Amino acid sequence: MISKEVYRILESIVGPEYVSDDPVICEGYRSGPGGYENGLGYERVMTLVPGCVIMPRTTEEVQRIVKVCYRRDIPYVPYSTGFYGPRSHPHVEDALLIDLKRMNDFVLDEKHFYVEVGPGMVYSPIQEECMNHGAYVVIGGGGAQASAIANLIGDGWSPLSHRIGLPHRRILGTEVVMPDGELLRLGSLATDDDPFWGESPGPDLRGLLRGYTGLRGCLGIVTRMAIKTLPFQPERLEPTGVSPDTALALPQNRVKWINFTVPSKEAQVKAMREIGHAEIAGAVTKVPLFWRAIAKAECKEEFWDIWGQETEESIANFFIVRVLLIGFTSEEQMAYDEKVLMDIMEPLGGIARRTKPSDESWIKNADSAGMWLMCGGYVSLDYVIETLTQSIEHGPTYADLKKKYTPPLMPDYGDPGWFQSFELGHQGYSEFLIYWDPDDDTDPVDRFYVDTSKMNIKNRFYTSLLGPHQPLYLTGPKYGPNYHEFLLKVKDEFDPKWMSHPPVPLAHDVFVERAPWMHAMKDWESPDDLPK
Amino acid sequence: MAEELNVRYYKPRDEFKLDVTDIENFVYDMSRCIKCKGCTWVEHTYMPGAKFMTRCPSATIYEFDAYGAYGKMRIGHAMAEGLLDWNEKALEVMYACTLCGACDVGCKRNLDLEIGLTLESLRVKAVQDGVGPMPAHKKLAANIEKKHNFYGAAHKDRKGWLTEETQPARKADIVYFVGCNASYKNQEIARSTAKIIQAAGDDFMLLPNEWCCGNTLFSVGLYDEAKALAERNVEAMRKTGARTLLTSCAEGYRMWKVDYPKLLDIATEDLGFEVIHLVEYAGDRIANGALKTTRPFETRMTYHDSCSLSRLSEPWTPYEGKRGWMGCVEPRLKRRRGKNGVYFPPRDILKGIPGVNLVEMPRMRENAFCCGAGRGTKEAFPDFARRAANHRLEEVREIGAETLVAACPWCKSHFSEVTGENGDAIQVLDIAEVICASLDASA
Repeated sequence: MISKEVYRILESIVGPEYVSDDPVICEGYRSGPGGYENGLGYERVMTLVPGCVIMPRTTEEVQRIVKVCYRRDIPYVPYSTGFYGPRSHPHVEDALLIDLKRMNDFVLDEKHFYVEVGPGMVYSPIQEECMNHGAYVVIGGGGAQASAIANLIGDGWSPLSHRIGLPHRRILGTEVVMPDGELLRLGSLATDDDPFWGESPGPDLRGLLRGYTGLRGCLGIVTRMAIKTLPFQPERLEPTGVSPDTALALPQNRVKWINFTVPSKEAQVKAMREIGHAEIAGAVTKVPLFWRAIAKAECKEEFWDIWGQETEESIANFFIVRVLLIGFTSEEQMAYDEKVLMDIMEPLGGIARRTKPSDESWIKNADSAGMWLMCGGYVSLDYVIETLTQSIEHGPTYADLKKKYTPPLMPDYGDPGWFQSFELGHQGYSEFLIYWDPDDDTDPVDRFYVDTSKMNIKNRFYTSLLGPHQPLYLTGPKYGPNYHEFLLKVKDEFDPKWMSHPPVPLAHDVFVERAPWMHAMKDWESPDDLPK
Repeated sequence: MAEELNVRYYKPRDEFKLDVTDIENFVYDMSRCIKCKGCTWVEHTYMPGAKFMTRCPSATIYEFDAYGAYGKMRIGHAMAEGLLDWNEKALEVMYACTLCGACDVGCKRNLDLEIGLTLESLRVKAVQDGVGPMPAHKKLAANIEKKHNFYGAAHKDRKGWLTEETQPARKADIVYFVGCNASYKNQEIARSTAKIIQAAGDDFMLLPNEWCCGNTLFSVGLYDEAKALAERNVEAMRKTGARTLLTSCAEGYRMWKVDYPKLLDIATEDLGFEVIHLVEYAGDRIANGALKTTRPFETRMTYHDSCSLSRLSEPWTPYEGKRGWMGCVEPRLKRRRGKNGVYFPPRDILKGIPGVNLVEMPRMRENAFCCGAGRGTKEAFPDFARRAANHRLEEVREIGAETLVAACPWCKSHFSEVTGENGDAIQVLDIAEVICASLDASA
């Protein structure tokens, strides 16, 4: 419990209205019972309501708070929107939750194509401001409601990554409050107050900050970041409709989605690669097929009516390529791109289907929240960035494993997940999502999580499931072979007292130790002195 | 497929009812909140930019997660599970909220959870548990019980707004339910409404002995008291034999159209009469030529969507059913998502008035930010209500509007008070006044 003395110090930093240890206020920060990965064992076993909550407004306030915590051995957790589920909530008793939502500063530099944001700023307002000034950014798959900083130091990709590229390339000057409260400035911020450059005269620690898919605040708190934007086309994408039936009307002469059906997975992959090779399109993607049923359904009951019509055969023989054309420089450029696209698709047997002249998701609104509609439990369990061709093997392997755990996983008839081109076809992206009813016995879902890692290790798929997302002592030795040792040394160096979001990055290891239903799966070595 | 369906729906089904007197009916909804904060952000398609990003007054003013619907769902869930007790802060969290419905329409774009009903139910629970409502609400309840009006004014003065030229008929097809605010405080709204009806060539009557609609009682969880008023008022209306009940008050409109049926466990269509707001009536009469709004009104104007006329106004249908695998319900539930709120008639009316330059605020229709006064909030948390109104008025200033128009006397009262305190040069009007002022004098 945070002492009265410390509480008074915290009040003096942010003002009494922005700190509270009232149990009702703290309960408002509970991770579950619903939401991303919530309701599973990891949430039930590993998360706790914070002992106290504080809402700083400035980097200096964050520094002062963290220094108090470090001196007084108070564990703390940085928190932006809380959408990322249990891994962004306290794992230990009496933690101080540092809610960063008031740090929502926003600066747009139109001339130099970047925005500068605080961790409280979410994606959709950034995109609106950018589009009003001839630029655009990725709305990450985490959703339009995700903190841009949290998303960029974790995941940060979407179908728009076909052209915009991988997220780490867009992180420019960045300010980090280190676990002990010292301030680290990356990129050109290291020498003056201009955040334009991501590269710094000294060491560039953006890789450490991000890792593969983020370290969930265990290496400090990002309080300011400049994000690169890219030129967009000039016409307005007009919001239309009344909720829940809203979309952006697209100026068809400058922005257009086209859905193609193709005869095979091979044709799908070839189409994506050739579109990238031709350096056309703003997005090239194939989303999980049940998302189409979500889009058609008026309600969850109707979703099951529609999805229930599918079979393994119908899913196995349905291949779609969804292409977003953007006339970045002119209408003529888009018309030319469309001709090139048709030249690519025709010999592959691609047939252009009727496509709505609007955008419901990806340009300004990534509809990740709607993913919970049909089941109530959801997590995006595996994402892989490799070559486009690897997905031909990885998708079916994953679908086979999924079948073993269905139920409690939702019947998906072998849907091989989300698959698309990144960086004009130089990278292929696969993402696999799992859904379940939270009222079912979810222990098998916990086991499936770890089994996914084992499958990836066995088949040598390069997976995202490293670091804090899985048992570090399972994945680390297989992806390095000393990834775990390296990461733990960095943690010890930056945070010798392990005050910043403990016990991350060992939280999943601890979970496996604590959860009896996981013990039978543990066939890897780990030290006896894991935090208990 | 049939066999698979059997497998799919194997789960025993839990019975539930959309009945706010039992919080157990909403444990499912509270347990499925995912913290997407769709309840709080302006819907992303309509997100106006780095200013005016939120539509929830409570979350915007108080900022801790507890005050957003996502926090309230967690707190309510813990209470329903017996893990958390009421305290002073819990009462503030539950009552410093305008029940404006922004959270409900936001959630229903994503997840279809019954957030609005859950919040109402939590207030009923507060009363059932002996801790609610707030002291200011108890005073209002005493006023309504003794004097049949919100203000505690003399009941005999309720018709004080009537003038020689706005006399009601003894018998008419339209009953004008005036409501407490327009009867006692903003009487110009009542007079304007009467003139509009008469200008359209219709007669109106009043309820023989009009009492408060009970909006505040229902909104603060005094369910039994509100139900008694609902029974009394609906019975009085039925006795008139009129086919239409017309209000110029958004809160009264919602009570008659949505919450009376909810309290009486009937569907809106089973009331036995139609409930309409003045803007629906006027829109119809303008369309058929009975009303002519031809007198110019030169102003740069903006329209504020009163919550109870817009996203909260869809008709009520009682529901009782079972929830099974994946949360699917049987029989099918026609969810109230706010899509069919009264958004367009007031805008069409205002746009049709010569000289009116109608400009939208960044947050409009289902994304509008509440004035901050509604449903018992202003009485118990006046500072919060004032801050919320000022937040909304920032938008009015941002677009450079000279005139702010609402379709509810409570919104007008609140905005007028706050602009008056600020010294803002913003004219605040009710739409009844605007329509009345624009009527063709020669007609």
